[in-house]
Amino acid sequence: MKQSKDPFEAALEEQEESPPDSPVGEDELTSQTPNEAQNQTDGGQNILVDDDDDDYDDLGPTIKNPSHPSSSSTPKLHSTSVNASVSAAVTNKNKEYDDDEEEENVDVELSKFPSSADPTKMAKMQAILSQFTEDQMSRYESFRRSALQKSNMRRLLVSITGSQKISLPMTIVVCGIAKMFVGELVEKARMVMTERKESGPIRPCHIREAYRRLKLEGKVPKRSVQRLFR
Amino acid sequence: MSNPSTGASSKSKLGSSQPSETSFKRKRGVFQKDLQHMMYGFGDDPNPLPETVALVEDIVVEYVTDLAHKAQDIGAKRGKLSVEDFLYLIRKDIPKLNRCTELLSMQEELKQARKAFEVDEEKLGTLE
Repeated sequence: MKQSKDPFEAALEEQEESPPDSPVGEDELTSQTPNEAQNQTDGGQNILVDDDDDDYDDLGPTIKNPSHPSSSSTPKLHSTSVNASVSAAVTNKNKEYDDDEEEENVDVELSKFPSSADPTKMAKMQAILSQFTEDQMSRYESFRRSALQKSNMRRLLVSITGSQKISLPMTIVVCGIAKMFVGELVEKARMVMTERKESGPIRPCHIREAYRRLKLEGKVPKRSVQRLFR
Repeated sequence: MSNPSTGASSKSKLGSSQPSETSFKRKRGVFQKDLQHMMYGFGDDPNPLPETVALVEDIVVEYVTDLAHKAQDIGAKRGKLSVEDFLYLIRKDIPKLNRCTELLSMQEELKQARKAFEVDEEKLGTLE
């Protein structure tokens, strides 16, 4: 699974809670190292999260945290030390996507919420997420972590516009828009299925019906010229 | 269903002198793996039907194409294509607009964090 959005949030969480030019933050991180699980070998390395795939090929050198979190990092997420929670979140975030423990991921997702969502919202989310079943948790995880690849999107945009100058923010925005569009499609398709009282995997006919309804609602941009030949 | 690859391959022939980096040959299933996870996250089966995924991919590509064309029309007045054009296009759709502004602000923060990291690393390097 791709992790393109969540690293943003992880870094955002860290960014908001520790000022950017804080050697203090660094020292705290390194001092936490003996307490933290062995994973955090170098405090400095934990500040940044990056994907281990080509989503970040536009950006500078990627820094990877190779180790897996141990369960001892989970309580750290609630510790008063902000950096500890950040680095633990970073560690949890940056591993290869094997969700060994759902509980860990619960806390990871929570601590990644931007604090523009105030603590009450976070508390609400925490309350909700703690009630999730395994199935719900895995689905939520897929929802959060899935994303369209930025490189593919960039290639598509270049071929559409004919211009090479597709900036990174543009790619990110279009990926986000496309993901939400997929969400609308799938949700509407599920609604169509319940109307028709069918069950099981979604079939193309449901998607087509959902697409038709979205078009009626005006959520799909209309072409000024009809697409005659596909 | 009609075969989009024929139309797309004619598109790619125009730019086929360039490597496939720029000419998008519209291979089947460019987004397929990601879309499977995404559809599961949004409510589909853990294993969506392949034809469903292919259809969704076609729809998404068409959506992005139309969006980009419209954005280009808007951007042409200004001179070049920018993010603002996309944001203008989805202005009516509040959830999407909020999500995009959130993504953009997070990206800014990430950039700042990275810059700070570079500075810190330098400091560490010189200290040690």
